[in-house]
Amino acid sequence: MKVKKWKLAVFLLPCLLLFALIYLIPLCMVFGSSFFEWRSGGVFRFVGLGNYMQAFLHDTRMHAAIVNTIIWVLLQSIVHVGIGTVIAFMLSRKLRGWKVLRTIYMIPNVISAAALGVIFLNVFNPKYGLINSAISQITGSAFEKNWFFEQSSAFMTVTWSWLLYTGMIIILVLAGILAIPGDLVEAARIDGASEMEINFKVRLPLIRTILGTSVILAATSMLREFELIYLTTNGGPGETTLNLPLYLYKTSMTDNNYGYANMMGVVLILAGILTVYAINRLFRMNEADY
Amino acid sequence: MRKQPAFWRTLRFLFLGFFVLISIGPLLWIVMSSFKTNREILSSAFAPPTSFSFSGYEAALDLAPIFQFYGNSVIISVLSTLLNVIVVSMAAYVLARHKFRGSNFITLLLSVSLLIPTAALLMPIYKIMMTIGLFDTRTGLILVYAALGLPTSLFIFKSHFQSIPKELEDAAYIDGAGFFRTFFVVVFPLARSGLATGAILQFLTSWNEFMFALILTKSTKVRTLPLALNYFTSQFSFNYTAMFAALTMVILPSIIIYVLLQEQITTSMVEGSVKG
Repeated sequence: MKVKKWKLAVFLLPCLLLFALIYLIPLCMVFGSSFFEWRSGGVFRFVGLGNYMQAFLHDTRMHAAIVNTIIWVLLQSIVHVGIGTVIAFMLSRKLRGWKVLRTIYMIPNVISAAALGVIFLNVFNPKYGLINSAISQITGSAFEKNWFFEQSSAFMTVTWSWLLYTGMIIILVLAGILAIPGDLVEAARIDGASEMEINFKVRLPLIRTILGTSVILAATSMLREFELIYLTTNGGPGETTLNLPLYLYKTSMTDNNYGYANMMGVVLILAGILTVYAINRLFRMNEADY
Repeated sequence: MRKQPAFWRTLRFLFLGFFVLISIGPLLWIVMSSFKTNREILSSAFAPPTSFSFSGYEAALDLAPIFQFYGNSVIISVLSTLLNVIVVSMAAYVLARHKFRGSNFITLLLSVSLLIPTAALLMPIYKIMMTIGLFDTRTGLILVYAALGLPTSLFIFKSHFQSIPKELEDAAYIDGAGFFRTFFVVVFPLARSGLATGAILQFLTSWNEFMFALILTKSTKVRTLPLALNYFTSQFSFNYTAMFAALTMVILPSIIIYVLLQEQITTSMVEGSVKG
């Protein structure tokens, strides 16, 4: 069946227009203007690699944002995915109530991150928060640590708000484990392998690509993370909890320094591509197992 | 399955229990506190309310137009989902079924969007919406949200269209149906499970999105529910009851919908991440 060209074009056009408006034109603007000094009030002049030099050689806030973002990407890829995988393996034995647990673990991931941010702001509130009240109750003396806004605890407290909430990873890995053909596990069991050995030597290698997908999701989510920081510490105290998306937001929306913000956009995009490529290689995502 | 020793079972129980506690403990505490008075909240975090009062809810609705935010969220999420499903499914159908010069290039181009951390495009999207007059409008947010889900929807729809037997379409053509009719009357209904998967993910994305709503809107007439919270933290600085009530009103619908539709949502999420 041969379809006229114009009919195909009519079907493709709306999608291509939407793509051009929200991705392609912005992408060109980001790359192009990253070589310009561009501020509100009509300042627009070519500075070559000036923005990049400034960012990597002199801007200490930028250094802090990059270091924090890298730490969070690594923590999320290793600890977050690790915890989620362990829980998924426990649930995969289908003990009583495993579906209820799966639902409960997912709940923090289905409410909006904005709501989660405000909830944590209350949970860690120094005066009436859940954490300080619990500590006061146990020790018997008043405890008033300001978790989000003290230098010593801010980074850890912000990290808490996403590191331990692994519902999405649990769902993915669990689906992977449950899709493993039963005869493979049965064969290992007949050969006398213990449950632990089956987990490590049969199941884990078989869900390699799903693990890779999970790590990609976890790592790239940290290149997007915005609201949980914006609504709690807003990057502070100082730049203790500043990351790239938040610094980009502040640079463009508060300082109106558009060229510099778009330079950060380029850094973010390149970091995203590099991250996905590295994880793809690490987990050999494009090779089949069987 | 062999029984594990008691030590391991206890350890597993504590491990899983800890994560249950941190997953729903804070939420239950928020809901409980929304019925307490300000003084009760400050005097003890754990004590249940002495009397169930809805004064926090009244105060919250007085202080912020929460129903307006609800309405905006519903309108924007529903319309952006419809737009996404219609526009992306048409393109996905062409790319799945009809090979022509450049079709692989278009697929590749569209999938590039999957790699971009959207925060990187924040400033240009803001500028574009300002220029074309869609800043602080629902239409602007609907367009941006429909585009955010474009790559995921494209992959899901494409693979579903490819799984439909081609003979069904050929039969429709022989019966005299044209290209457009065949798509909307024959193909569209056959792919509905795939379309539903994409639609669910798209709806969740739009419903929870915060950053673009923050930069692309400024009046309460168009702002969405996640932003309402941003507004609460400053508005209610000293009215804790109202803040807890507002939080409860924001999180409860999402939780109820998730619990009711969880099988479908879970399947969508797995399919969306594996394909996307």
